[in-house]
Amino acid sequence: MHPQLEILLQIQDLKSQRRHLTELDDEGEVEVQEFHVVADDAINVLDQRITEMLGQLETAIRNRYERIAAGRARPVVPVINGLCYGCFVAIPTAVTGDVHRNDEIRHCDHCGRFLYVTG
Amino acid sequence: MELREFFHRDAVNLELEGESKDDVLKEMIGLLGLDEKSESILFKMLKRRENLGSTGIGRGIAIPHCRSLVVNRLRVAFGRKSKGLDFNAIDSSPVHYFFLIVAPPLEVSNQYLPVLGKIAQFAKEPDVPARLQSLATPEEFLGLLEEKAL
Repeated sequence: MHPQLEILLQIQDLKSQRRHLTELDDEGEVEVQEFHVVADDAINVLDQRITEMLGQLETAIRNRYERIAAGRARPVVPVINGLCYGCFVAIPTAVTGDVHRNDEIRHCDHCGRFLYVTG
Repeated sequence: MELREFFHRDAVNLELEGESKDDVLKEMIGLLGLDEKSESILFKMLKRRENLGSTGIGRGIAIPHCRSLVVNRLRVAFGRKSKGLDFNAIDSSPVHYFFLIVAPPLEVSNQYLPVLGKIAQFAKEPDVPARLQSLATPEEFLGLLEEKAL
């Protein structure tokens, strides 16, 4: 896997955790009620980690990431069953069928999101 | 859908060998059969989640969990470490039983929270810790889940 893609995936997962705690949606509530997570403290920790990881991105990738993140909630999305799970437009099989498919940074031609091929 | 349907025999280990929190998390992740890089990312995510607050909910049970892009569907695993492990649990007791839950950020069927809730409910049943301790085979674990019908 491309090291920068690995960082992008982690940033996305951290932001997802942060969102649940910030919005205190069902998942955030479970963390607070069932697992006794202190939401504000956890959000601070997550913010620090996200900032650190953004700093590890190459400038061009970071700029692109921030540009996409400004307009879309999920800048990194999986490709499942040949579809970009951001805009649900089909991705060329040349991208999804490649054994080393996550060794390069790839984008959806339609929505511009970073792609991660699963499965 | 009942809890039993999410667990597979291959994702049950009744003799975890790890002697540290990290080792046990890695062993649990290993039960999911992911590639090496995905395992590494998932380990980091679970560690970070633990740093926000232990998932040790008391009575010897922990439920490490997170959402991550490295899986494409809900994955669960169960592990037992009979002699227990310090997991910074809420009640400060050693943890013997580990339920790992990982789900992708987007799930069509949205099973993550219901499964997490069912496992927490399972863990609160009075007889469950003793029953988990007496398991001899993974099949007995699956049978216990079936019996509880959660």
